[in-house]
Amino acid sequence: MNIFWREMKASRKSLLLWIVGIAAMVGSGMGKFSGMKESGDAMSGLMADMPKALQAVFGMNGLDISTVTGYYGMLYLYLLIMAAVHASMLGANVLAKEERDKTAEFLLVKPVSRMRLLLEKLLAIALQIGLFTAAMTVCSIGFVAQYADDASRVTEDILRFMAGMLFVQSVFASVGLAIAASIRNAKRAVASSACVMLLTFLLSVIIDISGKLGFASFLTPFQYFAARDILEDGLSPAYAALSVTLALTALVVAFRSYGRRDMQI
Amino acid sequence: MNVIELNGLTKTYGGARGIADLSFTVEQGEIFGFIGPNGAGKSTTIRTMLGLIHPTSGSAKIFGKDCLRYGPELRREIGYLPSEVFYYDNMKVKDLLNYSASFYNKDSRKRMLALAERMELDLNKKIDDLSLGNKKKVGIVQGLLHEPKLIILDEPTSGLDPLMQQRFFELLEEENKKGATILFSSHILSEVQRLCDRVAIIKEGRLIALEKISDLKGRTYKKFKLQMKAGSDATPFAIPGVTEWKTAPNGEVSFLYQGDINDILRRIASLELLNLWVEEPDLEEIFMHYYVSREGAGV
Repeated sequence: MNIFWREMKASRKSLLLWIVGIAAMVGSGMGKFSGMKESGDAMSGLMADMPKALQAVFGMNGLDISTVTGYYGMLYLYLLIMAAVHASMLGANVLAKEERDKTAEFLLVKPVSRMRLLLEKLLAIALQIGLFTAAMTVCSIGFVAQYADDASRVTEDILRFMAGMLFVQSVFASVGLAIAASIRNAKRAVASSACVMLLTFLLSVIIDISGKLGFASFLTPFQYFAARDILEDGLSPAYAALSVTLALTALVVAFRSYGRRDMQI
Repeated sequence: MNVIELNGLTKTYGGARGIADLSFTVEQGEIFGFIGPNGAGKSTTIRTMLGLIHPTSGSAKIFGKDCLRYGPELRREIGYLPSEVFYYDNMKVKDLLNYSASFYNKDSRKRMLALAERMELDLNKKIDDLSLGNKKKVGIVQGLLHEPKLIILDEPTSGLDPLMQQRFFELLEEENKKGATILFSSHILSEVQRLCDRVAIIKEGRLIALEKISDLKGRTYKKFKLQMKAGSDATPFAIPGVTEWKTAPNGEVSFLYQGDINDILRRIASLELLNLWVEEPDLEEIFMHYYVSREGAGV
């Protein structure tokens, strides 16, 4: 487990910064809700009158932002983007940095198999994502509860949101790891992984704006657990299964190609 | 027993040459030199043996076991010093060495301190703040920390000052006496000559010679360069053993000589000289010679 602990030690600073970012994001986001509430129906009426495309861009597709859960649902899109950025970069970077910084030569001449290296790296990714989501959950519940009339119902909704986020994070982190494990040029791994994430996000926005491309939703994890769907129908079991399948497939790709590949050093 | 056994080891990089059909064995307790100019394929061979890259064909065995199938197990007994050392920049030397030691089931605290003291390495510095030579010392300590049975060195002396080089060689000789086998890759023949029992010479990915150092020494070349007074006659040097004859416009001549050193000195003494240099020929010149003599012999 020494590789795992070394990894956790090396990334604690960046994880801490992310957690500060989460707190700032959720805190300031929910802070605006009180101002919104005071202006009352006028604001939500104004928002509802906006063109659908604009609503889609703001992430408030079909959400009633005058309620605290509806408002949090709008904020959720931004939190989801943050989580996806973190996961896709983390997944690729944890592995790619060893080759990029040429420390792979140090590490892989030790009596460890590449499988063990990858497994310990995967554990470090999993724990960091777990901590990220835990921080997100604590901040969300803490900040949202101040405005909620029925705190326990809101908490339930938030837990559902967070479960959805965890699925999306798993997909992006595994895909990032698969990219880092198979790409020949380690310097490009993180950028490639972020690029995949960004493209799926753009696709998601296009689907929201057009309103007609719903059939393509399975192509982008950002559509799997949209805020309105979570509030109305809960987590979709089909998309949960698809997320797990995608993540596992990516991991199989990662393990197979990393075992066979020549190290670039 | 053979510690290293290469059988037709070949590695090509998508058409580009790496190494081709490389076969040789290194016996237990040997200090084996592995020399060739830059880009000859020394590092490729070593990295294949360590499982960092996969051979296109052929195989490499260490301690009699295939180095791909039994990689992790074999690497327990291998210490490796790469030609360029890269470590985690924001780690302290001490932490890096402890991390390195944590991969082996041995308590090497005492040995770490002893080695660091001998190599005059400051354990409390950050890797990032170290000079090239000091990074190399970290590499030496982490390579020898777990008392490996096989020590693989890839251009180990680059960046080390002569004093440290000396201590490093002493260390290697001690390890060798304790039973360690050493593979020493270098492009400098003279440093290999001092330590090694046998050398393999490779060029452009192919093995061109496998020699005992004692044999090689019997056939050493010296490089002579002399500046003669104007009008001197260079005919005394038209003797067997003189090759690579070159003249410069300023009256300087240079050549390689193999044979009785007294013979050539007597001839030099008969001339009026302005200056004289006698040097060890560099590896390229020796290689050139290998090529010439091999082709000449129809091999």
